[in-house]
Amino acid sequence: MATQLHQDFSGATRWRRRPRPTFAWLAQTVTGVLLLVLLTVHMVAQHLVVEGGLRTYDQVIAWIRNPVVLVVEALLLVCVTWHGIAGVHAVLLDLGLRGRTERIVARILGDVAVATVLYGLWLLYRIAFRG
Amino acid sequence: MIRTGSERGRGRRQASRWLDPRGRHLGTWAFVANRLTGLGLVAYLYLHLVILSTLLRGPEAWDGLVRLFRNPVFLAFDVLLVLGLAFHGFNGLRVALVGSGLLVDRHNAVLAAAGILVGLVSLVAAVRIFFG
Repeated sequence: MATQLHQDFSGATRWRRRPRPTFAWLAQTVTGVLLLVLLTVHMVAQHLVVEGGLRTYDQVIAWIRNPVVLVVEALLLVCVTWHGIAGVHAVLLDLGLRGRTERIVARILGDVAVATVLYGLWLLYRIAFRG
Repeated sequence: MIRTGSERGRGRRQASRWLDPRGRHLGTWAFVANRLTGLGLVAYLYLHLVILSTLLRGPEAWDGLVRLFRNPVFLAFDVLLVLGLAFHGFNGLRVALVGSGLLVDRHNAVLAAAGILVGLVSLVAAVRIFFG
């Protein structure tokens, strides 16, 4: 998988079609493209159009209660966590992580990803409805 | 590859290409830079979640942070963040396009477009961040 992921990147510069893309590569590409959209929306709506670039406490609470904003932020959280943790996993595989250690690390990374999404969703809920 | 022109011209072009960072070398640099920006952005994701958690501590705590973040040191960090995001995003899109077999014959144009977009987005962001 390490060589596969490496080929996914270096293959892009050697202009060679991969015969069969791996699930990891597909998932990283799909979340990556989604992130281009979601992160652009996030940066524009949360910072670019805001006077001074950051909302005050009252403005944050009012803004995040908008269901569209809540859904966009929740989707962004899931995509960015998947993309980031899968990216760290890919780097570790490239560094030569294999076997039992790799399985343990992959399990930990999976748990970290789940914990990140759960904490982020709880934070969104707390800010929007208990702020 | 098409070779045209005199032997002299060709020799000079090959010599300049040896020093030229484009081609396979640029691809290697983009690969390394993609990993480094990616790891940096993961670190920022967790920093971001920690900072956002300040919202749980009420208006005074959050609005104090907002004032702090308008300090030029933090603004410079914001520009660096946008640069990292823009590079990782547009280079990632380039890798996804060419890696999927799309625009393979136009890979140099895709690379140039990605570079121009990274520069433009970062420049606009820097101007907006520092000069409103």
